[in-house]
Amino acid sequence: MKSLSNRAYGMALCAVLATTGLGSTRLVNADETTSQLRDRSIGYVTTDLHWSVYQTPNLSVDCPDGLNGNGPRETFKALFPQGGPVETTQLAREGLKVFPQDKQAQFPYILAKGPVAIGLNLDGKVGPNDFVSPTGETGINNQFFRVIGCNAQFRSPDGQLQLFANKLIRSFGFDRIMIEITQVDSLVNADNVEVTIYRGRDPLLLDATGEKVAPGGSQRVDMHYGKQLIQHMHGRIANGVLTTDPIEGVWPWAIYFDVPTVLHIHDMRLNLKLSSTSADGLIAGYTDVDSYYHWLTSWSTHHLAYGRLDPSEFYWALRQNADAYPDKDGAMTAISSAITVNMTQVFIEHTDANPAEPVQRTADAAH
Amino acid sequence: MRPPVGIMGILLALGVVNVGSGKEKPFPAPEASQLSEAYSHVPMPPGFKVIPTELEGPVFADSRGRTLYKWPIASLRNGYAGDPKDKSVCEDKVTTKTGGYMSPYPDGLDLPDLDRRKSCVAEWAPVLVDAKAKPVGDWTIITRSDDTKQWAYDHHALYTSYLDHAPGDVMAGTATFRSGGDTPAERMPVGPPPAVPPGFLVETTVRGRMLLAEKRLSVYVSDNDARNASNCNDACALIWQPMIAPATARPQGEWTIIKRSPAVRQWAFRKKPLYTYARDEVEASLDGSEVSGWHNVYTQLAPAPPKPFSIQQTINGDVLADSRGMTVYFYTCGDDSADQLSCDTLDSPQQYRLAICGGGDPARCQRLWHYVLAAPEAKSNSRIWTVITIDPQTGRAAQPHQPGALRVWAYRDRPVYTYAGDRQPADFEGNALGEWQGRRNGFRAFWIRNELFSRG
Repeated sequence: MKSLSNRAYGMALCAVLATTGLGSTRLVNADETTSQLRDRSIGYVTTDLHWSVYQTPNLSVDCPDGLNGNGPRETFKALFPQGGPVETTQLAREGLKVFPQDKQAQFPYILAKGPVAIGLNLDGKVGPNDFVSPTGETGINNQFFRVIGCNAQFRSPDGQLQLFANKLIRSFGFDRIMIEITQVDSLVNADNVEVTIYRGRDPLLLDATGEKVAPGGSQRVDMHYGKQLIQHMHGRIANGVLTTDPIEGVWPWAIYFDVPTVLHIHDMRLNLKLSSTSADGLIAGYTDVDSYYHWLTSWSTHHLAYGRLDPSEFYWALRQNADAYPDKDGAMTAISSAITVNMTQVFIEHTDANPAEPVQRTADAAH
Repeated sequence: MRPPVGIMGILLALGVVNVGSGKEKPFPAPEASQLSEAYSHVPMPPGFKVIPTELEGPVFADSRGRTLYKWPIASLRNGYAGDPKDKSVCEDKVTTKTGGYMSPYPDGLDLPDLDRRKSCVAEWAPVLVDAKAKPVGDWTIITRSDDTKQWAYDHHALYTSYLDHAPGDVMAGTATFRSGGDTPAERMPVGPPPAVPPGFLVETTVRGRMLLAEKRLSVYVSDNDARNASNCNDACALIWQPMIAPATARPQGEWTIIKRSPAVRQWAFRKKPLYTYARDEVEASLDGSEVSGWHNVYTQLAPAPPKPFSIQQTINGDVLADSRGMTVYFYTCGDDSADQLSCDTLDSPQQYRLAICGGGDPARCQRLWHYVLAAPEAKSNSRIWTVITIDPQTGRAAQPHQPGALRVWAYRDRPVYTYAGDRQPADFEGNALGEWQGRRNGFRAFWIRNELFSRG
C-alpha cells in the first residue's frame, strides 16, 4: 500500500508541477521512479560480474606483503627443476588440479590483510574477522576477499580472470541472467517486492558504440533449457536500494567457451541500487567452496598462470578461510563472498513462458 | 575434495526442480541414417576411390578401402604442429620428449611408455606414390624427408591410420569432438566436396552431416510443404525465409528450384523447399526444429546410439545419457609431442587418463568414472557405436575370456563413461575435467545439442 501511495503521490505531484510550470527536475525524478515499470514490474539483465575486491593503489593497505607469486610456472619450476617424466611432473600437477585434497599446500600463500572489504553483513553480527565496508559499515563478511585480494588474477584493471570472466557475460547465452522485480510501484520505496531470477535467451541490446549495453532492450525468458534456473526471492526497496532475503541460490556463470559452470551460493541475497535504467550492487552469500573451485578450474592451467594462480595451492587457501556450513567433520564448506554486479534495464517477455513442450525431433531427418 | 553436488542436485535441494525434470528426448529416426550424402566427382589417381562413412560422409580411400586423413598445420600456444602445405613432418622416428606446445609446462619432459611408443609414421602411414603415378587435379605428389613420394590432396599430405580396420572406418581422427581451440593439431578425414550449390556447406556433427547456408546459418524444411512446392507464404515467410536461388542457379542432383512467383525462385533439397529461420541467433542453430513441423536438414544422419542410451535435457542443452538418464562422457587426449599423437585409444599410454580420472590412482578412477556396461545380448548397430571388452584395471582391451573383463559401450572404439559426481539426471559435473577443459586430456560431456550456450 505504501508503494501505491508513493505512486499516487508522484502522479499528483507531477500534475501539480506540470500545471504550475514549476520544477522540471521534480518531474524527471518522478518519472525516473516509474518510467520503465510495466504492470508493476521491471526487469534487468546482467552485464557485468566481478568478484568484489577492494584495492588500494600501492598495495600498502590491502596487500603489504605484495601479490602472490607462486603460479603454476613457478611451482613447477621449483618442484621439478630438472624436468622429468611427464607422468610425474605435468600429469601429476594436472591430476592435483582435479584432486587438490591429495596434497597439502606446499608454498606460501599471501592473504589480503587490510580492514576494508566490499560486501554485506551476512550474519548480522560484528566479529573479529569481519571487515568494514568502504562506506564504513561494520561486520562485513567476505573472507573470499582475503583469499583473492592479493592475487593478480582478480585485481583491476588488468586481472585476467576479472577481465575475461566478465567479458564473457555479455557474449555467452548461458550467462544471460535477469531479475524481474514485481509488485513494485516505485523504484525508491516499496515494502514488499518479489524478485524472480530468469535466464534470458536473446542477445544484449548494444548502444551505438557497440560496447555498452543499452537499456530498453527485450529478453525472452528461457523456459526451455533455463526453466530449471528460475529462482524466487522476496525483498524490499528502500531509498532506491533493493535488498532481498537470503535463499539457497545458484548463479550460472560460464567463464570459458563450451564449459558451463554454476556457482552454488548459500544464503544468497541481492543488494542493488535501482534506477530506471540500471541495477548495480552486490550478489552476496556463502559460496560453496567446491562449486567455486569447479568454476575456477574451468580455466586451463595456462590461463590461471596469467595471474600466478596455482589451482591446488589456491584450493587450500579457500578451504582454510572458509567460514560457514561445516560438514560432519566440522570443516567449513562455504566461504563468505560478494560479487559486484551491474545490470541494465530490459523488458522481459514472457511470451515463451508457457510454451508447448519442446517438439520431439522424431522426424528430424535427412530430408 | 568431497564429491561435488551436481547442479541438478543443488536445484533439487532448493526445491526448484522435481526429480526427473531433466527431460528425456528421443533420437532422430534411425532409418534416415540409411541415406548417404552425394558428393562432387573430382579427378582421382588410379587406385583411389570415394566411400561413404557413417559419421564423416564421403571420404577418399585407398585401394584397400582405408580412409585417407590429413594433418593440417595448427597454431598451438607455443608454436606450430602439423603439416605445412605440400610437406609432411610426420617422420618414422620415435619422439621421446614433449614439445612444450601447450603452456605453462616446459618442453623436454619424458613421454610415457617409450618402450612401446610408436613413431608418427607407424600410426599414420603416409600414402605413398606408385612410381608411375602422376598428379591428377588437386592430387599432387610431395617428396618426404627420406626422398619417398607421398600423395597430397589440396596441398595436404595424406595418411592412413592403424586404427581403421574396415572400409568406411573413421576411427582415427576428426575435428568434430575437440573443436573450439586449444585442441591438439587434429587429423581429419579427407573427402570430395559435398554436392551442394554455391552458398551451402555441410558440416559433420554428432547428429549427422548438417546442411548450412552461408555464415553457418541453419537450413530448415517444413512438413507443411508439398513436394517441390512451398506452402509458407505471407507471415510464415517472414519468420521462415525462403532460400532464394539466384537467376543463374540451375538444378543439380538432389537440388531443385521451385518458383514461388514468376520472378522468385527457391532452393529445394530432396524435393523439400529450404528456409532459414529469422529467430535463429547462433550459427548452426537447432532452434527452428523446436517449432512443430520444422526440421534442420542433414545430408545424412549419424547412427543413433544403441537402445540403452537416451537424450537428456540440461540447463546447457541436450546431452547423451545412459539408461538411467545420467550424462555420458567421452575421454579425449592428444599428447604434447611434435607428433601430437592420440592418447585416448585403448593401446595408448593410460597415464594421461589416470591422472585426470583418479589423480594417478586406478582404483579411484574406477570409483569415479564408470564404463557404460553393455547388456549381454547387446550388439553393435553401427561401426561408430560398438561393444568392446575392456580390462577395467588397465583401461586396455581385455584378452579373450579374461576374468573380470567388462563388455562396455564404445564410441569410435573409445569407451564412454558416466561420472560418480553426477547425482541426478542432467547433472554434468564431469564435463571439461582435465587439461585445457578436457580438450587435450580429459572428459567431455557428450553434447547432442549445446549451440545456444556454448559461444556468444
